[in-house]
Amino acid sequence: MEFVRYDINKYSPRQMVTLPLVLLLIAGMVLGYTTLTTGLPLQPGIDFAGGTAVTVFTSDSRETIEATFAAYPLLSVGEGIGSGKYIQFGPMDNAQYQSLSALINEKYPDAKVDQIGETFGKALQGQAFLAVLFSFIGMSIVVLIAFRNLIPAGAVVLAALADIVVTAAVMQIIGIPLSLGTTAALLMLIGYSVDSDILLTTRVLKRKGKLEDKLAGAFRTGIIMTTTTLSAIAAMWVVSTAGQIQIISEIASVLLIGLFVDLMNTWMLNAGILKGYVLRSGKK
Amino acid sequence: MNREAIINLIKDWRIALLLVLVIGALIGIYLAPPNPEKGLEGNLQFGLDLEGGSWLQMEFQSVVVSYSTDRSVEDLIENLHRGLEAEVIQIDADHIEIRKGVSRADIEPIFAASGAKIVTYHKGVSPYTADDVKRILSKKVNALGMQDAKINLLTPTGSEYPQYVRIELAGVDMATAQEIVGKQGMFEIRIQTTGNETEHVLFGDQITSVGLPQKDPQYQTWGVGFTFSDTGARAFREAAIEHGAVDNPAAHHLVMLLDNETVYSAPLSGELVAQMRSGPVRSLSATTGTGDAGLEDAMALEIHLRAGALPVKVEIVGSGSVPAALGEHFKTMVALAGLLALLTVGVVIYYRYREPSIVIPMLAINLAEIIILLGVARFIQQLDLASIAGLIAVIGTGIDQLVIITDEVLHEGRVPSSNLYMKRYGRAFGIIAVAAATVIIAMLPLALMDLSTLRGFAIITILGTMIGILVTRPAYGKVIMAILSK
Repeated sequence: MEFVRYDINKYSPRQMVTLPLVLLLIAGMVLGYTTLTTGLPLQPGIDFAGGTAVTVFTSDSRETIEATFAAYPLLSVGEGIGSGKYIQFGPMDNAQYQSLSALINEKYPDAKVDQIGETFGKALQGQAFLAVLFSFIGMSIVVLIAFRNLIPAGAVVLAALADIVVTAAVMQIIGIPLSLGTTAALLMLIGYSVDSDILLTTRVLKRKGKLEDKLAGAFRTGIIMTTTTLSAIAAMWVVSTAGQIQIISEIASVLLIGLFVDLMNTWMLNAGILKGYVLRSGKK
Repeated sequence: MNREAIINLIKDWRIALLLVLVIGALIGIYLAPPNPEKGLEGNLQFGLDLEGGSWLQMEFQSVVVSYSTDRSVEDLIENLHRGLEAEVIQIDADHIEIRKGVSRADIEPIFAASGAKIVTYHKGVSPYTADDVKRILSKKVNALGMQDAKINLLTPTGSEYPQYVRIELAGVDMATAQEIVGKQGMFEIRIQTTGNETEHVLFGDQITSVGLPQKDPQYQTWGVGFTFSDTGARAFREAAIEHGAVDNPAAHHLVMLLDNETVYSAPLSGELVAQMRSGPVRSLSATTGTGDAGLEDAMALEIHLRAGALPVKVEIVGSGSVPAALGEHFKTMVALAGLLALLTVGVVIYYRYREPSIVIPMLAINLAEIIILLGVARFIQQLDLASIAGLIAVIGTGIDQLVIITDEVLHEGRVPSSNLYMKRYGRAFGIIAVAAATVIIAMLPLALMDLSTLRGFAIITILGTMIGILVTRPAYGKVIMAILSK
């Protein structure tokens, strides 16, 4: 693995933080641009925008399905491995939904159907926004209490923020919509992200010894932690994507992206700030 | 490790606690009560998406408004009632419930005209009305012999008034679910003629409104008020006079039936008879009795009078269904995902440490954690797809934290003394305690929010983290110490 060969002691703090900060800035711009043009930082999925999602196992091709549902606001037909299909429709009025529902029942009686109304989606949106906000504030408070020192705690919080913002931007770029599942994954990311950041900060600030050794030791442990988590999540992603379990597949995709982003933010951004902090306070 | 060392290990409270909880969890899942026909699943509760069934989420078309006024409240309620053509009910001293999906702008002019001001405006219903809806729905579902129905009231964060009701019916398709929820009973009022004979008076469609149970301040009896339409009131008067109920109330009971079953039977009161002699009466009250029993009967009667119709209109805002076969497929898939996750984690860990005496305890502890988590979940949380994602995420963080402990303890080679060991273990524990606290805090909002279907995900993650920090990490610390010092 290329990243494992990264020498955490080779670069100056300034060099370390540059890439993550530039990416954070770009990510911020992506989300800002989307907010300006659509009113939301991310493309909302059916949970938040309203609409209908259908999971079905069928040998019908994508074209056949598109033709079958041509009269309805069809958004996309996703294909899994094997015969699994995930069909999404935009919001529609009640009469149209009833007719769609009847059609699905007739064509694909074994389908899983979920429908969310537009206004209810809006309500969910507001609630999800509150959840993310409270989570982030709560996390910041815990970190601040744990370290009782503004700069190291600030670095952890900044790294977590960068994780979420960059991951969200990647989601927007590759087209993973914001849904209840992906919101939960972003929240979970706060937890995962802080894990390795706290390990790093504790090792560097509370252990005796040379800074280089402590950074290298923390990095070794941190990498193995993130790889084990990555492997568990990757297993979850493979099975859920193959088995057409949309919600788990979404959660796993976001966690996978997030964990890679977190590697960068922990071992470049957070470690860089921490190194600069220790070097500077050592000189005094 | 020799036999003595193992016995000593088991005597340690951390290990003992772990073992007791694993055994307890297994008993909870498989033996209490035994459920052999379910095989490996035992008593685990699965969500709709794994079990198959349908769900409907409905929004109450109603608002709760708190107000201030110098004039009489009755006027305000009457004006709202007439202006909006909606039922308006006073909930407490300064709150009213308007049973119609009206916007704040819709009602502001009526408040202004009645010399009142709106203080707060919330969509939703009072907790009482919400419980009423819940009772009516459970009655309908139970009447059809459906055991696995879940009816939950959902209150958005930041409001105290339930705004939605979600009903989940296992093993039922969408069309049947909608029929069950929408179905109304047939309500009929009859009057006793001679002996046990009764004569039809009117059907439930002549009842225009039904009130809440109320206590009569004079007689301390509970009762439910209801009103007839004009036609209903006339029909009622004519029948009462024709069959002699006005002259001899005691021998001519008023009988109410729901789906041909008697739900209420009582004579007309002297007061009512006096009123009816002079003309049709629209507002009536059916008395049930005193004390708690009277209240309970009154609540039941209220539901009967509505004939299974909900007191508030509801609109379906979300719905879904999963065929049982697909649920079964998902179940297999998630079990596979969990096993595969555990296996890959094992391989990665082995690749790092290359020492079976470390890798095996790590995986065993992780497995124990999952068993305990499932054992707890069996009592408090049904497992749906989202909560299983949480379970797999817990495998990930769990191993993470065991790695932190191992690396911290192994720092600079094998452990020389148990003193130093405890110091290092303490430091590792400090790291994972902070990490656990942040995960719990980050997931808490999601776990507390009524609206999201991701409560399960958050609850399982929080539970798993707590079990980890309280039970399995301390036990792992002890095990790894025993192994390293052998």
